[in-house]
Amino acid sequence: MFRNALGKTFRFLGYTVQYGCIAHCAFEYLGGVVVCSGPSMEPTIQNSDIVFSENLSRHFYCIRKGDIVIAKSPNDPKSNICKRVIGLEGDKVCTSNPSDFLKSHSYVPKGHVWLEGDNLRNSTDSRCYGPVPYGLIRGRICFKVFTVPQIFALIHL
Amino acid sequence: MFRNALGKTFRFLGYTVQYGCIAHCAFEYLGGVVVCSGPSMEPTIQNSDIVFSENLSRHFYCIRKGDIVIAKSPNDPKSNICKRVIGLEGDKVCTSNPSDFLKSHSYVPKGHVWLEGDNLRNSTDSRCYGPVPYGLIRGRICFKEQPWRLKH
Repeated sequence: MFRNALGKTFRFLGYTVQYGCIAHCAFEYLGGVVVCSGPSMEPTIQNSDIVFSENLSRHFYCIRKGDIVIAKSPNDPKSNICKRVIGLEGDKVCTSNPSDFLKSHSYVPKGHVWLEGDNLRNSTDSRCYGPVPYGLIRGRICFKVFTVPQIFALIHL
Repeated sequence: MFRNALGKTFRFLGYTVQYGCIAHCAFEYLGGVVVCSGPSMEPTIQNSDIVFSENLSRHFYCIRKGDIVIAKSPNDPKSNICKRVIGLEGDKVCTSNPSDFLKSHSYVPKGHVWLEGDNLRNSTDSRCYGPVPYGLIRGRICFKEQPWRLKH
């Protein structure tokens, strides 16, 4: 009786670990749904929008200028950021604020990318923390699944 | 006949994907064996030494000063580096070379670590490319396999 219960528990744990690993690898190598929060990518991505992020591009090193990517934050490894790639390694980027009188430029170092939010007035990005190492990129956003107004419309139906 | 072969192929692929995913997660979350190359960590780790790297510490944010870590290279995302953690975020580190007359110091920014090889004369590390974001760390080396060497 006890042996049966123990056997069932182990089998259950075995299946959980098995399917957990497969799900994790699917998210890691294929992609997944992400909820974005914050105003830094408005109007492209609003606060609480749901987007689909694919993770193959970063493994094949095909991230292009203009892509919107999700990356680990350089200042806080526990959180993620969602910004647009403005410059790849070797590109010349403008590092000064739009309001500055004197413009300053620099080149993106090897192995790094320059990220900026679409909402330049309200975004902490590479203009604050500098170029971001490519190794921190987690995935590339390919399309929006739902926006908040659409969800409200569905609920009210 | 053909349907049998197709069924067997799919079952085989299914098992391969299944066990591949489990193996990947074991390496990702538990640890694995790594071969180190290069002279930057001598004499602690020699060229071609085999070490065991555990990956739990970085997920629980327990990397300590003095640990030897494996991280993605900031200059080349396709390769890894193996260095010692000299400073954590907020620590004061010396950024000048030992041969410089004037010493310069700086503080490690939030979310970063300062990495240096044990073989200071022959190591490209944070003294060249600056503090490394914590997110690039892959694992912590816990022990070295003792190689069988024939002593003459």
